[in-house]
Amino acid sequence: MFRLMRHAKKVVATIALGAAFAIPAAQAADFPEKPVTLVVWSGAGGALDVYGRKLAELLEKEAGWTVKVENRPGGTGAVGMSAVLTQPADGYNILVHTGALTFGIAQGLIPFKLEDLRFLRAMQSEPSSLAVRADSPFQSAEEFIAHMKANPNGLRIGGHAPGGFHQYMLYQLMQQGEFESGWIPHDASGKVALALMGGHIDAAMMTPSSGLAQVEAGQIRLLGISTDERSDYFPDTPTFKEQGYDLVDEIWRGIAVKAGTPDEAVNAIQKAIDKVTASPEWQTFQADQKQESPDWQEDEFTANVGRQLDSQAAFLKAAGITQ
Amino acid sequence: MGGMIEALGTIFSMWGLACLLAGTAIGIVVGALPGLGPSIGISLLIPFTYTLSPELSMLLLVSLYMGAEYGGSVSAILLSTPGTAAAASTALDGYAMTRQGRANEALAISLGSSAVGGVIGGLALLVLAGPLASLALKFGPAGYFAVGLFGLTSVAALSGGSLVKGLLGAAFGLAIATVGIDPIAGVPRFTFGFIELYEGVPFLTALIGLFAVSEALVLAENGIRSSADGQGPVRSVLLRARQWRDLFPTMLSGSVIGTLLGILPGVGGNIACWIARDFARRRDKDPDSFGHGAEKGVAAPEAANNATVGGALIPLLSLGVPGSPTTAVLVGALILHGLRPGPQLFSEAPALVYSILIGVIVSALAMFAVGTLCLPIWARAIRLPRSVIATGIMAFAVLGAFALRNLVFDVSMMLLFGLLGYVLKKLRFSVAPIVLAMVLGYLVESNYRTALVTSQGSYSIFVTDPISVTFLILSAVSLILPILRSLRSRRRSAL
Repeated sequence: MFRLMRHAKKVVATIALGAAFAIPAAQAADFPEKPVTLVVWSGAGGALDVYGRKLAELLEKEAGWTVKVENRPGGTGAVGMSAVLTQPADGYNILVHTGALTFGIAQGLIPFKLEDLRFLRAMQSEPSSLAVRADSPFQSAEEFIAHMKANPNGLRIGGHAPGGFHQYMLYQLMQQGEFESGWIPHDASGKVALALMGGHIDAAMMTPSSGLAQVEAGQIRLLGISTDERSDYFPDTPTFKEQGYDLVDEIWRGIAVKAGTPDEAVNAIQKAIDKVTASPEWQTFQADQKQESPDWQEDEFTANVGRQLDSQAAFLKAAGITQ
Repeated sequence: MGGMIEALGTIFSMWGLACLLAGTAIGIVVGALPGLGPSIGISLLIPFTYTLSPELSMLLLVSLYMGAEYGGSVSAILLSTPGTAAAASTALDGYAMTRQGRANEALAISLGSSAVGGVIGGLALLVLAGPLASLALKFGPAGYFAVGLFGLTSVAALSGGSLVKGLLGAAFGLAIATVGIDPIAGVPRFTFGFIELYEGVPFLTALIGLFAVSEALVLAENGIRSSADGQGPVRSVLLRARQWRDLFPTMLSGSVIGTLLGILPGVGGNIACWIARDFARRRDKDPDSFGHGAEKGVAAPEAANNATVGGALIPLLSLGVPGSPTTAVLVGALILHGLRPGPQLFSEAPALVYSILIGVIVSALAMFAVGTLCLPIWARAIRLPRSVIATGIMAFAVLGAFALRNLVFDVSMMLLFGLLGYVLKKLRFSVAPIVLAMVLGYLVESNYRTALVTSQGSYSIFVTDPISVTFLILSAVSLILPILRSLRSRRRSAL
């Protein structure tokens, strides 16, 4: 009886102590006090929008937030970014954006600086890959590059967008493999797989997921992929790295808030994101979509975008897209 | 086969029918409001489908798509304010019929043709998806360029009497289509420092301004004297047997054109309806009646744009690549349900695929039922006082332009186009060539240049590509024939 009493006292004391600490903690964890807006910088449909909507759904489910998704397309992302930057730096407007950010800034299309944002988390990323049709004679990146060296501009190579991630990857491959090639830009990533299948281009630099059905059916063969190690989703595709080309890069999708957002709000967002990424539903979603999960935290994310901006600016100059 | 039976069970369950009717009804309303097209409608509805099964949510969204493609014609016919890009070509003859007091007839023709087009596009999707998808693969940049050029040759027919004015309008439309980031070089052109113009002048802001706002200004100017153009009592809203007989071949050809162009990613309904209308005009005994209330001028484009629904779903389901902006949004809806579009869906989720395939056909029939019930309501809309109509058009025009990208910039641009449209109306310019050139300008330019990059500057690519050659010859013929014909008739009258 006495022992039980003492035990009960301990419990009460623990609870009281916990409550005393919990009160200020609860105040800090009060973010969000009102609905949070995810500003997706592209239109409805498409990979970024799907990611934003899934994130919103899981933030509601896992973290108990109320989340609104707002599509703000335009200006290659500049419209969405300015929509966030013109709001107070309180964490209630979260930008959902992609690695196209650094290309946009390097090209002078997006009139902002990296320092205008706090890069909170990169949650998805996709590599680029060198793709050919099943009937192509090339079996490896090596064979492909040897052919291009012997026949400068000998193949029609294309991919999504002029001056974007995939052309940038081809450019690096050209430098390392010492060959020359043109670039045939397409205005939608889905059209790249169609052009390759229809024989309108001979090879493509593309995200494997943009022609996934054809890759899985063996109609499109991937000669190399720009991941660091072999991708879990494409275990049979050798990386460029293992074939002797230092070509490791991925295009990310992630979230950012306006610079100057207080740490309390940022910490609350980070905690909520941790809950999302830990949930089985998120992991299934990532696997279904064949997405890598870089999970870059703020420091790593900020360092990476800085590095990407520098090397992409050099590429754009060399490719003659900027002066 | 099991999937098909399961799908039929889903479609004809109480929930399935409820989704079909609700989807088409919402679609018709969304389509009728200027600016709110099928893609915006679907993206607004997606959050409500989280709790539904994937089959039911696709039924709901596909029937919304179907309903919206038809709904666009309602406002085009009654108020000359096309609700969707595709309905702009319907407005030409549809609104002319309204001014002749034949609004009910025009609405009935539009509904009947839309249903026929929807069913035929759906049948093509169900039966011919495989072969049609491989046809889509054969189109390279040279082929797309030639199809776009062929579409441009119908400008002459849209000029409304003066060929010079038509060509001027087309040149203006082509010039507007060059605004934005250069599709090949990646640098901004004619954007004057506005980041809002990077993606070009949004087609719908121009459409709403040129058609809807200019019409509202004309209505306001004419004052509140008379109540409306729709004279006479509300007559039967069903097509008579004679009309079905007369119009069925036109509906059929429109449907085939719509299905075929619907499968080409980036072409779709916007272009199919113009080409279908032009095809019907050329084959007509009295081509000059087009633009002055020709029944076939309503039937052809309306059949075509609903047929593109089935067509656009073909590359989505058989190749995993969306064929139109609207199907791109559908991809998002599928992914949120944990499904990935593509041929593997046939084995992974056969019931879902058949729900979509059969759902397209059934939604066309549901649309016919819902549309028939709504017809008497529409007929009342034009009996409203002009002041109410003009204000209403302006309100929805502003709303629609804003809803496009949530940008006030787009609203200002839309109002500018409205003023331009008003001035052009006063100068007796037809705005149709501007709209057509804007639709086709980007397609023609980007593919022309992509073709030349592909061939490393050699023009031979346009004659060695069989599809390109075919359409270039068709374009040449459609330009030369009318000239020959007019020369011959001139000679005859001289004798």
